[in-house]
Amino acid sequence: MTKGWQLTLILTLLGLFALFYQGLWGDPRHIPTVLIETEAPNFEGPDVETGQTISLDQFKGKVVLLNFWASWCYECKVEHESILRLHQLFKDNPDFVMLGVNYQDELPDAQQYLQQYGSTFSHVRDLKGQLAIDYGVYGVPETFVIDQQGKIRHKWVGPITGEVYTNITQKVIAPLLNGQSTPTTS
Amino acid sequence: MRIRFTFWLVVLLVIPAPLFATMQDETDVDVQVREIAKTLRCTVCQTENIWESGAPLAQQMRGVIRERIALGHSTEEIRAYFLSRYGDYILMEPPKHGVNWFIWVAPFLLLLVGGFFLYKEVTHWVRDTPTPPNQPTPPLDDQARKRIERELES
Repeated sequence: MTKGWQLTLILTLLGLFALFYQGLWGDPRHIPTVLIETEAPNFEGPDVETGQTISLDQFKGKVVLLNFWASWCYECKVEHESILRLHQLFKDNPDFVMLGVNYQDELPDAQQYLQQYGSTFSHVRDLKGQLAIDYGVYGVPETFVIDQQGKIRHKWVGPITGEVYTNITQKVIAPLLNGQSTPTTS
Repeated sequence: MRIRFTFWLVVLLVIPAPLFATMQDETDVDVQVREIAKTLRCTVCQTENIWESGAPLAQQMRGVIRERIALGHSTEEIRAYFLSRYGDYILMEPPKHGVNWFIWVAPFLLLLVGGFFLYKEVTHWVRDTPTPPNQPTPPLDDQARKRIERELES
């Protein structure tokens, strides 16, 4: 085998090894979203606590934070305090709305969860899972930020805590509320 | 004749009746749901299609497929809907475009390249192996000749 071929073989093997190594550290369950910069699908469903119908159309022209959660989800409990803190931070801004989406849950369990951990904003029930599928959700918690034009600008899979909380409040929601364009992220 | 009759009787008794019921009850819609669901990946299990997966999300996805069929959507429209929500990942078979071509071609490419290297190496070994010089066979000595004759006679 000539030197040239030996070098090609070594480089190919190194390339394959690099791909394998990268795959080891990435999250194999992460599915990259295709919804960023697309129009947020409209939805309509009953409020978990009051039973009144809530639809996304009601909040046209506002920045909407949509948080998918379930009472059986451990990570939802982990992020719950941060979620309430986030609402507290922006709730006085008339251009901000926060909505929870209760996913694959039983109504009594969801209501008990909200009573136990606290609730300061509305939560829609996703009765048949259609809402979650419309948003490409594959687990909870998942959070979306929708801008004033009704476009999805940010998606996060996992709990909103620590650095994620700082990023979403300072780099996504605050600039959108200030009328600044934010980089679209997922 | 009797043996054959008994055989079929036993077969019919052994096969559970619900199996036949399921086969007969499957409507065209069920068949279409199955055909579409088999091409879509379960985003929870990720190694199964949504027809085989027992995950609640897969179950809901099957429900969405059924609803859309009832609304008159075509197979391609339904697949396009899931593709628009989850991207290429939702498809059990990666679509043949862009960088995905690499996934389809890579195994054959690796096989070809591997085969080429193997061929080169083998020809190299064959070429480099020293062959013994073509020398005449040494004559047998008396002792060896006598031994062979003895062996042949016995």
